[in-house]
Amino acid sequence: MNPLIRRGIRERLRAKNLVAAGIFSLILTATFYLAAFFDGMQVVLPAESYPSSEPELFFNPVNGAREAFTPLLVLQGFFLMFLGTGRIASVTAEEKESGLLDYQRMTPMSPLAKIFGYLFGLPAREYWMFLVTLPFLLHCVIAGKLPIWNIFHLYAVFFCSVLLYHLTAHVIGLVVPRPRAASWVARLAVLGLYIFLPALGQAGISFLSFLTILPTYFGKILPHLLFEGTQMGRFESQVVQFWQEVPFFSISLSPTTFTFVMQGLILLALFLTGYRKWRLDSLPAFSRPMGLSLFATLQFLLLGSLWPFFSDGLASGLLGSVVQLDPTQVGLPNQLKSDAHPALAMVVVQSTFFLLSIGAILILINICCPNPHRRLKGIQRIKKLGLPAIPWLADEAPGGGFATLLALLAILPYALLHLLAVSSESIVSISSSPSSIIAPASFLLFCTLSLRAAREQWFNLGFWGFVGLLWLTPILACLVLAVNDFLGNSQLMLHLSSLSPLTFIPQLMVHHSPNLLDPANPLVDLSTSVRTGMVASIIGFLSLTLKHWKSSIK
Amino acid sequence: MIEVSDLKIHYGDCVAVNQLSFSVQPGSIFGLIGPNGAGKTSAIKAIATLLEPTYGEILVQGVSVLHQPEKARGFLGYMPDFPPVYEGLKIWEFCDLFAEAYGLHGEQKKAQVLHALHATGLQEHMHALCHTLSRGMRQRALLAKTLVHQPSVLLLDEPAANLDPKSRIDLRNILKSLARDGKTILLSSHVLSEIEDTCDTLGFMQKGKMVLSGTLDKISQARQKQNFLKIRLTKPFPPLEKIISSIPLLSQFEDTGGNGTEVRACMDGGEKEASEVLTRLVEAGVPVSGFAIEKPRIEDLFLELESKPTRKGDQP
Repeated sequence: MNPLIRRGIRERLRAKNLVAAGIFSLILTATFYLAAFFDGMQVVLPAESYPSSEPELFFNPVNGAREAFTPLLVLQGFFLMFLGTGRIASVTAEEKESGLLDYQRMTPMSPLAKIFGYLFGLPAREYWMFLVTLPFLLHCVIAGKLPIWNIFHLYAVFFCSVLLYHLTAHVIGLVVPRPRAASWVARLAVLGLYIFLPALGQAGISFLSFLTILPTYFGKILPHLLFEGTQMGRFESQVVQFWQEVPFFSISLSPTTFTFVMQGLILLALFLTGYRKWRLDSLPAFSRPMGLSLFATLQFLLLGSLWPFFSDGLASGLLGSVVQLDPTQVGLPNQLKSDAHPALAMVVVQSTFFLLSIGAILILINICCPNPHRRLKGIQRIKKLGLPAIPWLADEAPGGGFATLLALLAILPYALLHLLAVSSESIVSISSSPSSIIAPASFLLFCTLSLRAAREQWFNLGFWGFVGLLWLTPILACLVLAVNDFLGNSQLMLHLSSLSPLTFIPQLMVHHSPNLLDPANPLVDLSTSVRTGMVASIIGFLSLTLKHWKSSIK
Repeated sequence: MIEVSDLKIHYGDCVAVNQLSFSVQPGSIFGLIGPNGAGKTSAIKAIATLLEPTYGEILVQGVSVLHQPEKARGFLGYMPDFPPVYEGLKIWEFCDLFAEAYGLHGEQKKAQVLHALHATGLQEHMHALCHTLSRGMRQRALLAKTLVHQPSVLLLDEPAANLDPKSRIDLRNILKSLARDGKTILLSSHVLSEIEDTCDTLGFMQKGKMVLSGTLDKISQARQKQNFLKIRLTKPFPPLEKIISSIPLLSQFEDTGGNGTEVRACMDGGEKEASEVLTRLVEAGVPVSGFAIEKPRIEDLFLELESKPTRKGDQP
């Protein structure tokens, strides 16, 4: 057995822990399960069925078990996903700070064995608590007549998700230097990656929905949890329909398959990061080739997910509802054209695409471009070795080429999707003018190169301070202006918000959308604010690059 | 064997270790001494594969720590300056974990764990939980863990920092016994008397540089041309001061005993000159009952180095 797993069992499952945790889990599970079971089992037959008598109460164990399935699953998720993830993040970070992790780092076990040891050893008690719930699950499946194959699907995805959350927590514990920060960053990352990002599936980026257990639960289990003799309601039908198949390019994939693919990709990235950090703590989380591969994969998934929308205008989720809205039933603002919703959907999708890309670029530049210390190290090393320059894929090399490649990798799918939509007969709400590709592409390039210049000349505080100041302050200022006088300040707000990429990208998309704004009823002048944003991005790029160049020479 | 050459470690703009070169032979105990911030811990961490140096080469048993860290780790036993332990494990479980992580199994593992516990005097406490241990006991548990896979190279950062006098003596004996078995031992410490008693070779670090290294005698000889003679008399001999001032090799007469029976004098030269001095004293009728060249004190060297600014190439 892996010695780290054995350590977890010895440390957390001594006899008294075993009994205490077992009883705790048993009481909690029994309470929730039996309460739901008895509640679901009681069926009140309507009085009209028996006009001669009072409404009667019948007991149906099948319904009881079906009712109890979801609370049981939630409880199992609580043990493994909530308690287990927290345990792994905090212990990894604590051991890193105390130096215990260094002892392990120095043993000749492979980094992969160490990662597995931590993933399955640290939450040993949580796995035990999960085990205690299994008899209830067995009862639920048998009594509720649930299809075994679907349950197998669900639990395969459940364990894959557990592994994913635990690995995320472990890697964050390894990457983040301070333990208190690590436990918070781990919680935020799990929330962001597995709750916030999946919500973007409703905005057309369907692949992001498959980071959680929900697609398999809704697609495979929910239809079987209905009470005997009942039909699915409209809402349930829509939910089940949404998760039945995943449109990807021109094919459809099963939600389980797609979930495995998505989670597998993230697991791979996290394993590689964990491997690097276990080998040597001072290495960045990703090497440059790894960063480029990850970003290319992200762009491929974005391309595949958005392909059906840009080629045929097909979309599911909330986006699909917007596209299919009946213009006569919707009250759109006066400044928008009466049939503006397909164009609005297009703006939402394009903006989401760019914001996701720029977010990923920000993270990759932060990780893969060297801060001034790392660069100095590289320079001293090549001087010592007599090399003419730092190899461009090395962690210490200037990141100009890397950042440009990232920008190109984002621009290419956007241009492709745009051209696809222009050539499609079913899409009318897209501009065929070259500026609708060139303007966002140039902005993305300037923004990326500015971020790279900032990363390489400032340390963490300076870099994140710069990003926060430029990206968030204009939005906050707009909020204040909006509260003061929304209509009166609207033009000023547009100018201010054009300084932040987060708000400038949607502006740019609206500006280039041909069927959105009504030219006969202009409230604001978008063209001047777009000009302001473009000029600001060019000035930012030039000044930061010049400053960086000067500091490099020095 | 440890060979460090031209090692440089930066923390941002700060140079923690600067062009450090030294080697430790098998069977030798090398003591790193220096004030806080001299770069001792950084150097030890780099040798332990836990810190990536800016440049330089570190070989452990001929294996490059920078290029083959996984292979080098098999030879290394590292004990940091603060003794963290797995609080929820018993002492034997703590050692067992690392024995297994280093690839030991079955009876061999059991024997090695018991051997390490015995060597560190923890056999009686092996079933105690780590969180119940005192700091000194933790240090012992950590040493047991470090020894459990019988590493050929030991890196000990402040190993005696929390130990009581008895445990320090035990530790010294353990280390000397390990050195006799051919292990290469590198340790750092602030306790100069401990270094003096334990190590056969010393390295003085200051501002990231090794300013002096070698055996204590060699360092002393290189640093100072003068030695101190300790002369003991059977009874006070008043003309002694006059006799000493007449011998050109001697100076700085000092009555250390206070009653004229123990004196100390500074001498130019080594053992040959001391022999000459003794002959002159006996010829002059001085009732000498004891005569010795005073062993150089590590504290004196340390304070002398501390008070001098570092100069480039300040090697013995």
